[in-house]
Amino acid sequence: MVKIRYIAAAVLLLLAIWAVIQLFPGEEKRVKKQFHLMAKWVSKEHGEHTVTMAYKTKSMESLFYPKCEVNLPPYSFSGLFTPEELAGYASQGRLYFDDLQLRFYDLAVAFRDRGTAEVNFTAKLTGKTKNGELVDETHELVCLLHKTEKGWLFGKIEVVEVLKR
Amino acid sequence: MVLALVEEPSLAIRDFFFPRVTPRFLIRASAVGLSAYLFFGHVFTPFLIKGQSMEPTHRDRSFNFCWRLKYLLTEPARHDVVTVRFAGSSVMLLKRIVALEGEKIEFRNGRLLVDDQEIEEPYVRNPCNWNLPPRIVERGCVYLVGDNRTMPIENHFLGQASLKRIIGAPLW
Repeated sequence: MVKIRYIAAAVLLLLAIWAVIQLFPGEEKRVKKQFHLMAKWVSKEHGEHTVTMAYKTKSMESLFYPKCEVNLPPYSFSGLFTPEELAGYASQGRLYFDDLQLRFYDLAVAFRDRGTAEVNFTAKLTGKTKNGELVDETHELVCLLHKTEKGWLFGKIEVVEVLKR
Repeated sequence: MVLALVEEPSLAIRDFFFPRVTPRFLIRASAVGLSAYLFFGHVFTPFLIKGQSMEPTHRDRSFNFCWRLKYLLTEPARHDVVTVRFAGSSVMLLKRIVALEGEKIEFRNGRLLVDDQEIEEPYVRNPCNWNLPPRIVERGCVYLVGDNRTMPIENHFLGQASLKRIIGAPLW
């Protein structure tokens, strides 16, 4: 009976630790949350309503730093862009798709200093174009996020070359 | 009088599915959990093949295990099928090594040439007309190509990757 009490106490302690972690997320979790939002707003379901599309485009703007450097050679897309420009390009790209899913895997967050985080991860984009063509692309990327009053914002997005022709 | 302590079958079944939570049970369950995590997470990682670039050797939607200790004591060799990681091992590439570091590789009318010698590729079933200008595989890298050459070379994901990215090989 005493042993059961110890076990119950240990379980309660673990639950309490888990609750504290959930209630007070660390910086790493805040950084990862931005990726979760990015995936949510880029993804598109079949028959997406225009209002939803406008909301997602507007929301996407809030993820980027005032000047964001993008280097995506597989898509011939590189340069320095404003959040409005990037959200505009993303919404234009989404128009070609009937449905689209963006997923991130293996996010490794490293803090260069208190205000900059470097994240290495795998991005997988799957979906179907309006012509019925299936799309399945996977890339490794590195992002730099800067801490601002609005939270962690994407300041640099770059594709890592895994297979070099 | 001898009392035979035989558990009722229904009681044994109940104990199997709903065991009593004792310290001994918790230790046993933790050991099983930890062993499974180490075995399936770091030795034989299960994975599902998505895509046709390794057909017919490895079919789309087929299941396999990544044998992660394969290159612990040996180096990857030509014709080995290997798993290549991206940022981590959640998503991997499955490709075949066709050239090693320092070798010159090219495709000429669908034929693979390494150091100007034609390489036999019994695993390639369908002829192709791929052309790739010669290039040298960099130090610490291997050249990887899929077995399915039915698509245009522009649509095939091939190239050289660092040996550090190779995390194992499919079990079968």
